[in-house]
Amino acid sequence: MCAQVSQIVPPPRTRTNPEHSALETRRLSMRFGNRLVLDDINLTVRQGEFLCVVGPSGCGKTTLLRLLAGLLRSSSGELLAAGAAVAGPSRDRAMVFQDYGRALLPWRSVWANVALAYEARGGSRAERRERAFALLARMGLAEVGEYFPGQLSGGMQQRVQIARALAQDPRVLLMDEPFGAHDAMTRQHLQDAIARLGGERRITTVFITHDLEEAIYLGDRVVALAANPGRVLETLEVGLPRPRDQLGTREAPLFLKHRHRLFELLLPGTRPHE
Amino acid sequence: MSASRWGTRLGALAFAASVLALWEVLADARFISPVFFPSPLRTASALQAMAARGDLWAPTSATCVRMLYGWAVASLLGAVVGAAIARSAAARAYLQPILEFLRPLPASAVIPPAILFLGLTSRMVVTVIAFGAIWPVLLGSYHGFRTVEPRLSEVAALLRIKSVPYLWKIALPSALPEIFAGVRVSLAIALILAIVTEMQAGQSGLGFNILMAQRSFRSPELYAGILVLGILGLIANQLLLMAERRFLRWREFAS
Amino acid sequence: MNRALSICRGALLPILLVGLWEAGARTGVLPPGTLSSPAAIGAASLEALRDGSLLWGTIETFETALCGLAIGSIIGVIIGAPLGLSPMVEAVVGPTLDAIRPVPSMALLPLALLIYGFGVRMEIMVVAFACTWPVLIVTVSAVRAIDRRLLEVARVLELPWLLSMGRIVLPAALARIGVGVRVAAGIALVVAVTTEIVLNPRGLGYQMIVASQSLRPDLMWAELIWLGLVGLAFDLVLRAIEGRWLARYAAVPVS
Repeated sequence: MCAQVSQIVPPPRTRTNPEHSALETRRLSMRFGNRLVLDDINLTVRQGEFLCVVGPSGCGKTTLLRLLAGLLRSSSGELLAAGAAVAGPSRDRAMVFQDYGRALLPWRSVWANVALAYEARGGSRAERRERAFALLARMGLAEVGEYFPGQLSGGMQQRVQIARALAQDPRVLLMDEPFGAHDAMTRQHLQDAIARLGGERRITTVFITHDLEEAIYLGDRVVALAANPGRVLETLEVGLPRPRDQLGTREAPLFLKHRHRLFELLLPGTRPHE
Repeated sequence: MSASRWGTRLGALAFAASVLALWEVLADARFISPVFFPSPLRTASALQAMAARGDLWAPTSATCVRMLYGWAVASLLGAVVGAAIARSAAARAYLQPILEFLRPLPASAVIPPAILFLGLTSRMVVTVIAFGAIWPVLLGSYHGFRTVEPRLSEVAALLRIKSVPYLWKIALPSALPEIFAGVRVSLAIALILAIVTEMQAGQSGLGFNILMAQRSFRSPELYAGILVLGILGLIANQLLLMAERRFLRWREFAS
Repeated sequence: MNRALSICRGALLPILLVGLWEAGARTGVLPPGTLSSPAAIGAASLEALRDGSLLWGTIETFETALCGLAIGSIIGVIIGAPLGLSPMVEAVVGPTLDAIRPVPSMALLPLALLIYGFGVRMEIMVVAFACTWPVLIVTVSAVRAIDRRLLEVARVLELPWLLSMGRIVLPAALARIGVGVRVAAGIALVVAVTTEIVLNPRGLGYQMIVASQSLRPDLMWAELIWLGLVGLAFDLVLRAIEGRWLARYAAVPVS
């Protein structure tokens, strides 16, 4: 199903300085009116890593992601991307939203939606179309390229959004509970699709979810966020081998250990049988 | 097509035919006044006579041209102005009360001032049609541009899409359904205003013709004129619907 | 503070325009025959209010508008309910109605004139025709949407047709029909005024045309503004009714 990647994926723009982390927050805080939503967040996202952020509802995960994307300006603290201060949105940081239905253009075909990411850079329609279809093929969506998003299932629409994010050729991929609106089976397919992509291209990814197991399954590291106000409780090094699979990995002792730890941190009161 | 669908189509045809037949019988037998309700056959022959002596196409096209011209101007202007007001918070703040005041005003209220300024001329007619028909498009465009999906605005920001491409690629397609809806209503208003101003200003056209038919009590011609106007309205609306379906194909799939 | 600011901004443009208008009229820049000064308009308004002509005109216009609305709504419901209840009836009768609907209401002006001559009844006829359609369409869809179970209850209880209509079908559909009537009310006022502007010698529309053609622009503008205010007030009343009563009924889920 995965096409030959090397000819299709354009080479990286400039070599990023390997000393700089992909993203770094220093004492990042966010206040809405009187409410302190994020308090003193210090995070470092290493280049090429898949970082998952988990936490209960209202812990500010989405706010954090929007700050990283540049859609919001922090109340205090610093945010650096590849060593430079973040002033606003940038093509280097692509975002995938949870409400895929609202994030895609319903009047454009699937391939044209993907092409939106690089249209401004020119090229003929045929070239844009070819590039879009190449990306869609990697997501397994080549057959539906000419359809409208409204004709696709939820899982496919979300993959289209991911394809568009990748079409941006970003340095960092930011994903806001992208699989939250899907059923369990679709979620597993999407998880594996993302995991596979991560394996191929090693794009730095920040992945927000409320599903603890999803976070461990997908991530290289997992950051547990508390709520009210949002603050970092702990960062776990997952350390599980790749490629991961839904059955084997989820039964590995290390997986279960992480799972216990996250439960303790985020769902206190759930005690294992004594 | 299934048998039952043919059956209902036949039934619909039979119903319409029997209504006309009943009318014919009642008119001929003078149960209903043939002056007020001329028999369908007489109406049909009046229509034919009008066509034969050249009294049909000229007025029809005159009305048509006026309606289309005024409607086109109104649609274009309305769409642009509506968009402009929607995009500018300052414009909204300053213009809102005036718009709110003008909205419930009947389109025909433009006629007395227009007569004052322009007299009973064809310029008056076109001006009235344009002014009267502009509102549905303006309001539709305004509302359409105001209710662009906010998530798409964020996507545009993230993709660093600049103002002009944003308008063209995102805001306009998003507003198009409402603009189209406004354009359809606008056409209906344009037709009505065309008829009405013809009657008012004595300009040659279908509206004027049916008024003349009334004055000389030639009711078959009156009905024939009404029939033609109905057909005109129907064709115009259908053409717009076809265009809408073509340009807004994606709507049938949108959730 | 924000409210006060937005009210100021909203009022700015109208006040500015009125001021410029007044200045233009006084200095003779604006032709006095068409755009009389706001002061003159104000004086004409007071005069018209005092001698009751504005009031009378409003009453006459609303008289015919509301009568036509009532008649049109009743006809719309009477025809619409059976169509909504029985898909077969709709399939057979529907196309005939669809053929009549595109006829613009104004095209009926000469016909109404023919049958009734000038006056109240002619205007009511045209208004009723225009109002029938929105109510009919809404009634069909509202009746169609009634829970099947309610209709089965009527059948189980072996209620005579009229009783089941009045007791079960119509109340369930009432809220939505109410919305259709509200739309028709807006149309009623517009059609009434338009009829008066074009033909009928009564009501506000007629007063405007008379003022315009007897070269009393100040009176014409005064009446136009009055019409705008009346239309606005009417629109607000309709919205209030819709909000208070219809919303209450619409809260009950009608499948």
